[in-house]
Amino acid sequence: MSNTRTNEQWLDDLGASGAVQEAAITDLRNILLRTVLFFFSRNLGDFGGLARAEILHLAEDCAQEALIAIMNHLSDFRGDSMFTTWAYKFAINIALTTSRRERSQGISLDHLGFFDDGALSRWVMPDESPRLAPDQSTMQAEVREIIREVIEHDLTDKQRHILIMMVFNEVPMDELVRQLGTNRNAIYKLLHDARRKLKYGLQARGFEVAEMLALFSAQR
Amino acid sequence: MNQDHFYAWLRNIYETRESEISCTECFDLSSRFVELETSGQNAVAELPQVKHHFDQCRACREEYETLRDLVTLENQDNAPSLDDLSQLIE
Repeated sequence: MSNTRTNEQWLDDLGASGAVQEAAITDLRNILLRTVLFFFSRNLGDFGGLARAEILHLAEDCAQEALIAIMNHLSDFRGDSMFTTWAYKFAINIALTTSRRERSQGISLDHLGFFDDGALSRWVMPDESPRLAPDQSTMQAEVREIIREVIEHDLTDKQRHILIMMVFNEVPMDELVRQLGTNRNAIYKLLHDARRKLKYGLQARGFEVAEMLALFSAQR
Repeated sequence: MNQDHFYAWLRNIYETRESEISCTECFDLSSRFVELETSGQNAVAELPQVKHHFDQCRACREEYETLRDLVTLENQDNAPSLDDLSQLIE
């Protein structure tokens, strides 16, 4: 595997034709496959039901998808990093999306609790952990109740559903992207708007998030 | 949600900015961020908006951590080969 090309050589070779381009594509594909396997090897738990051959096959597919994405985005490469570092991130992005999809395989939005705000109600229940003194437990319950109020009254339905799914039910972002047919930017924007509303909603009710942090920090 | 998770989420709310970069903008800058960081330069000072996004977005942070670790291993001439990694898959 040739990993010794300069950035300019990578761009020239990948943009060439014939044997030069073929050799560069083969090298790049091997680099991408190695990157995908590097990610997979750190996340093997996501592939619980799959045999080794199936995981390796998925890795090949991811590498191919990353190769196509890179060839389509070659003109976006600004040269502010090594070409290979820039290329790795395409492979890692596709490997992560694939890996999380495997982890959530067969689970519908219903199962993930998309239409169930119960997670929020359950969360508001007082924390009766023995490590908390009764007054601490009461204070935390008050804070939780205020947060619940902001979530229920200040957020739009969409912001609330996404927030509950990702923060309370810990559904991976890419799984929501897949199930809702949207993209990361849209989900991130909804969460960002929800966080802004929470920050200002809490302030409007006389609670500073900084004070809450200090309160919970002292109890950790 | 356990206490640590809740605390981290409160911190995310506290650190929310009026304007934040998108996942796509973060993706575009992440390779530069990693190379600055792994070469001992102050990536956070040069690209604070990227660090902020990593703090707020778990998916982008996971990708960044993988990229950082891979580049670090390469810089140490210690990155696993394709064969090594294939053997690790079971």
